[in-house]
Amino acid sequence: MRRTLSFIFMALAVMCFAVPVFAQGEAAGSVTNWVAITSGFAMAIASAVCGIGQSKATAAACEGLARNPAARPGIQLALILGLALIESLALYTLVIIFAKVK
Amino acid sequence: MTRSSDDFYSGAYARIVRFMLALGSSAAIAVLLRFGVAVAAGFVVGGAIAILNFHWLKRVVSALADRATVSGERQSSKGVVLRFLLRYFLIALGAYAIFKISPDSLYGLLAGLFLPVGGILIEAVYELYAALRRGV
Repeated sequence: MRRTLSFIFMALAVMCFAVPVFAQGEAAGSVTNWVAITSGFAMAIASAVCGIGQSKATAAACEGLARNPAARPGIQLALILGLALIESLALYTLVIIFAKVK
Repeated sequence: MTRSSDDFYSGAYARIVRFMLALGSSAAIAVLLRFGVAVAAGFVVGGAIAILNFHWLKRVVSALADRATVSGERQSSKGVVLRFLLRYFLIALGAYAIFKISPDSLYGLLAGLFLPVGGILIEAVYELYAALRRGV
């Protein structure tokens, strides 16, 4: 049974590799839109880094609050401002992408 | 920190919202005069989303602080997470709707989304001014 399955999967793999043979050839004069591709990567990197920044800020704030609940107003305000400013960094990237891609 | 400085810093959130409203309305008039109705409408929508976004962010942070300090009125975790995600959905929906109606006003929407940054910067300058006036 296992042997049959392995043959089936091997045949499927060969068929998957064979499919690009039937693909249409590249049209003459077509150029790769590198701006769009790099924009996607830029947005992904910006989102990821902002996500890491927000998670670190939130973790530090939670730790501070748990240790010293009396400092809540100051920590809470700093966290709100920090999160808003970190979010705006991703928005800057989005604006640049819109300006360049359009 | 003294009592008066505590009061001063606890009023920062309300001041930022007021700064955002003032900045948003004055900038909307400037955008209307310079770029026309479509871009100004986009800016107003973007500003409204930004203010709502900032308000929900504050509520989410308050709920998080309630959880961390085990105090205050406890909100449901589902509601907190839903509100946090709804903020992004709202921005995406606004951007998509405006992009479909008038692509030009998308720039206005994106500019409007930066209102909190402007509000926070004005608050920073105000706090610096207040600290210098107190002689810190």
